[in-house]
Amino acid sequence: MNMTTPIEPREFKIVGKSVKRDDVLEKVTGEAQYTGDIKLPGMLHGKIKRAAIAHARIKSIDVSKALAYPGVKAVLTHETVPRVLHYGSPHPRSASCTKDQYILDDKVRFWGEGVAAVAAISEEIADEALDLIEVEYEALPAVFEPEDAAQPGAPLIHDVGPGGNLVLDPVRVNRGDVDKGFAEADFVLEGTFAGGRPHPAYMEPNVCVADWDGSNKLTFWTSTQTSFMVRGILAEVLGLPLTKVRVLVDHMGGGFGAKQDLFQHEFLCALLAKETRRPVKMEFTRHETFVAGRSRHPCKIWLKQGFKNDGTLVARDMKLVYDSGAYGSHGPGVTIVGTTAATSLYRCENVRLEGRCVYTNTPINGAFRGYGVVQSYYALDIQMDEAAERLGMDPAELKLKNVVRAGDIAPSGHPIIGHGLEICLQHGIDVLDWKALWNRDRTPDPKRPHIRTGWGIGCEMHGSSAYPGIKEQGNATVKVNEDGTVTLLTGAAGLGTGAHTALAQIVAEELGVRFEDVGVIHGDTDVVPWDIGAFASHTTYLVGTAAKMAAGKVRAAVLARAAMKLQVAPEEIDLSEGKVFLIAEPDRCMTVSEAMGPSRGIPAANIVANGTYEPTKSYSFAAHFTEVDVDTETGLVEVKRVVPVHDVGRVIHPIAAQGQIEGGIQQGIGHTLTEDYVIDKKTGRSLNAGLVDYKMPLSMDMPDIETIILEAAPDPGGPWGAKGVGEDPIIAIGPSIANAIHDAIGVRFHHYPITPEDILKALREKGA
Amino acid sequence: MRRFDYHRAETLEHASRLLAELGDDTFLFNGGTDLLVEIRERLRRVRNVVDIKQIPGLSDITYDETRGLTFGALVTVGRLERLPLVCQRYPNLRAAFASLGSIQVRNRATVVGNICRASPSADTIPPLVADGAFVHIYSRTNMRVVPIAEFFTGPGRTVLAKGEIVTGITVPPAGDTAGKAYIKHGRRKAMELSTVGVAVSLSMEEGVCCDIRIALGAVGATVLRAPQAEAMLRGTRLDASAVRSAADKAMEECTPISNVRASADYRRDMVGVLTGRAIKQALETFA
Repeated sequence: MNMTTPIEPREFKIVGKSVKRDDVLEKVTGEAQYTGDIKLPGMLHGKIKRAAIAHARIKSIDVSKALAYPGVKAVLTHETVPRVLHYGSPHPRSASCTKDQYILDDKVRFWGEGVAAVAAISEEIADEALDLIEVEYEALPAVFEPEDAAQPGAPLIHDVGPGGNLVLDPVRVNRGDVDKGFAEADFVLEGTFAGGRPHPAYMEPNVCVADWDGSNKLTFWTSTQTSFMVRGILAEVLGLPLTKVRVLVDHMGGGFGAKQDLFQHEFLCALLAKETRRPVKMEFTRHETFVAGRSRHPCKIWLKQGFKNDGTLVARDMKLVYDSGAYGSHGPGVTIVGTTAATSLYRCENVRLEGRCVYTNTPINGAFRGYGVVQSYYALDIQMDEAAERLGMDPAELKLKNVVRAGDIAPSGHPIIGHGLEICLQHGIDVLDWKALWNRDRTPDPKRPHIRTGWGIGCEMHGSSAYPGIKEQGNATVKVNEDGTVTLLTGAAGLGTGAHTALAQIVAEELGVRFEDVGVIHGDTDVVPWDIGAFASHTTYLVGTAAKMAAGKVRAAVLARAAMKLQVAPEEIDLSEGKVFLIAEPDRCMTVSEAMGPSRGIPAANIVANGTYEPTKSYSFAAHFTEVDVDTETGLVEVKRVVPVHDVGRVIHPIAAQGQIEGGIQQGIGHTLTEDYVIDKKTGRSLNAGLVDYKMPLSMDMPDIETIILEAAPDPGGPWGAKGVGEDPIIAIGPSIANAIHDAIGVRFHHYPITPEDILKALREKGA
Repeated sequence: MRRFDYHRAETLEHASRLLAELGDDTFLFNGGTDLLVEIRERLRRVRNVVDIKQIPGLSDITYDETRGLTFGALVTVGRLERLPLVCQRYPNLRAAFASLGSIQVRNRATVVGNICRASPSADTIPPLVADGAFVHIYSRTNMRVVPIAEFFTGPGRTVLAKGEIVTGITVPPAGDTAGKAYIKHGRRKAMELSTVGVAVSLSMEEGVCCDIRIALGAVGATVLRAPQAEAMLRGTRLDASAVRSAADKAMEECTPISNVRASADYRRDMVGVLTGRAIKQALETFA
């Protein structure tokens, strides 16, 4: 599709309405089948033996006692599984992944890495057998911080890659003349920033079930965002054609990006099932979702920017170092996306960026909502607030002056379509009467003298689709049944976002049938068209457009068939709400069912069409306005109110879009204030791999959120101008909180999470 | 989840005998909200559980003006939390009960279970210590009553001998001149373990503090009293400067550790802040 195709004006019947989601009833009644609910006759349970050492060679591994344990059916080690070097995250045609993993290796690279796997007749027996596996390690010196890992002479974690513990060669972006920009600057701000290690903590722990049939075909149920990638890499590593691997995923309890890797347990589950000739289930404990799952990359950022006294940004120099953990996973993609993102958000002609990604002996960091941009925009947005402070300006005014405009070159290298960020900011300023808010009396309430209140703004933009890092493709197949109902076949995963509902709305709207008449078949790689996976905020944008294209083709075929039956020309009729009618004479009509069905010797119609869409990219925008209370005696920060103003183009399902925004804010409040997966920097052991001490904000901790969704900057690349919304909200909330804390207590924080101890320490230093 | 054997006790005598006979790694199963999680997370090695939930006579709640409030071992936190008497007369207990876990947990967990777990951060312990509660203990040879402050011997450890079972707790009556408060400090509003918890129970006569007990949670191996701080406040009018000095003294009296939840220094600071706030709040409860 041409990016300049104008967005057709039209009255919507289904799009833009919060129709009842197709999965609601199943979920509230508990009928919805998740992978963990699967029970097959004779099914075994698999468990993984995990290393209690951060960096070591395996000298020997003795499984004889485990194998002899009653109920144990198989044990696998690096000596007994295929040794195939493979990608951790096999995005097709992508430069953003690294081939650095084995199913099991003779080397341990982080505390918690799997070294053996057991299948037994019960989960309990498999678990007990793990203790009987004896592993002798030769400890290797370990590195836990990117600074240490990047030192010359640091112990090397991998033999592959560019060396020096780099996951990829440094990512460099140069635009304009940065030195000249600094020379022309009236003042320069410089600072270092640091992001913690938040973990997505999706509700449903990773789980899979493997079953081989008599023809040596593997059926594999797994909780994944990327079923076709799972199929592809499983087939490659196991040496099978794609016809012999069928991947299935029905309902999912979230993923947030982290379920698009190929996990060790997925290979091991398939191999244990093959070895035992019985189905095998493997399900992570909550502890395992931390140590063997994927978290956000901790990041250290150095940022220097030059400003004119009128607030114009004239130079930006930025260095980012992402901590990949022990494997590459999404490190390259995160580094590229997070680094190049810093070309934009706030306009600057002279930009010099360098992003690095470094291996450490810590659990693997991977894709997680906000994909590298959470880190870089935290720094950009906070420093913009500092510039406003320096200039004595209202930060809203300075941000408004500098935000990206239509036509500016986006991080993807394309001119930005639409003018969303300025509109979001201005809208928030207007509805909140920001000027009055900013110039308010800041005297503390005498009844609560220890509480200080502050307001802050955070801005963000984020692309729908991973282009240009990945050349994406969305596919959909739409069939019309002889009773007039419609079936959409899609490979897009339903993480719990309501994606399938949105896709069904798009099909119903384009085709002209009722929403209730569209059924969605998904999550079976043997049945549905190829799909790239649900990530990069692109399902509605990418697959939605493909579904619209397929529905459009089907609509034309239905009209042609109805025209034949009505004995009129196709141009004379229209299709709406499941009825075909003469435009000039609407009472002359027939239902789609009548058009499709057999009659007077004409057999029923078989109408099927495919839609394939290869997009570039669109950007969504948001400005978050956040109020916090800071308790200056305890250091506790309470987020009181958030007014998120988002531009997401055409809204397909308002409640689902709002849910995405509220959920992103909840996760963002978490990583900004309380959530941090802590690794002991002496041993590499996890200190809070569980929900007791990994503190996610819960419903009681949520502020009032007054979501405002604008449709100000629709993108012609998406269906009727729709853009992504999944990742945006988690990016803007962080800096808005940090900026609000500064407004409340006059202290700048350049890191997250900002803990109560940090607040008290900073207040003491300020007072001293 | 690791396997274990389940035994259902019909009487206290039966339960006590099972505890003695089944040997180590045998635990009473009451609400189970801690025990089952500990088994699942492999934090506690358990071979047998003895379910006491069917034993008659352990579900009663009684109150009289001389003895005070007595409740049995099977009384859930949620039931006490909703009891009008607790809401009106024991705002400290009410605050502790309402802050424990979630609604679902509280409808299953028992106060007796919470104290027997003997976690230094248990929410129900500080207000019971500040109120001077008593623990009723059954054994097959005799019954005994132990002041709750003497019940704990360390983190997860109590004075209970093998075969002894806590049957209930008595909290002294709440007089008209008594002020009570419990403040829990954590990062979240629910499903949270205390970083620090401070309970204050005091009584005033003609504007003078005639008795005060301060109990500090999560800042020592067991819930601690702050006797020196208390002594500094008895006989005073609890004015701001006296409270501030006593709060500073309480900071000296506690013995916190550093862990992933908070540093020792931060916990100590919070003892100071929360002691002051709890005294103020206790005064407000009967003002």
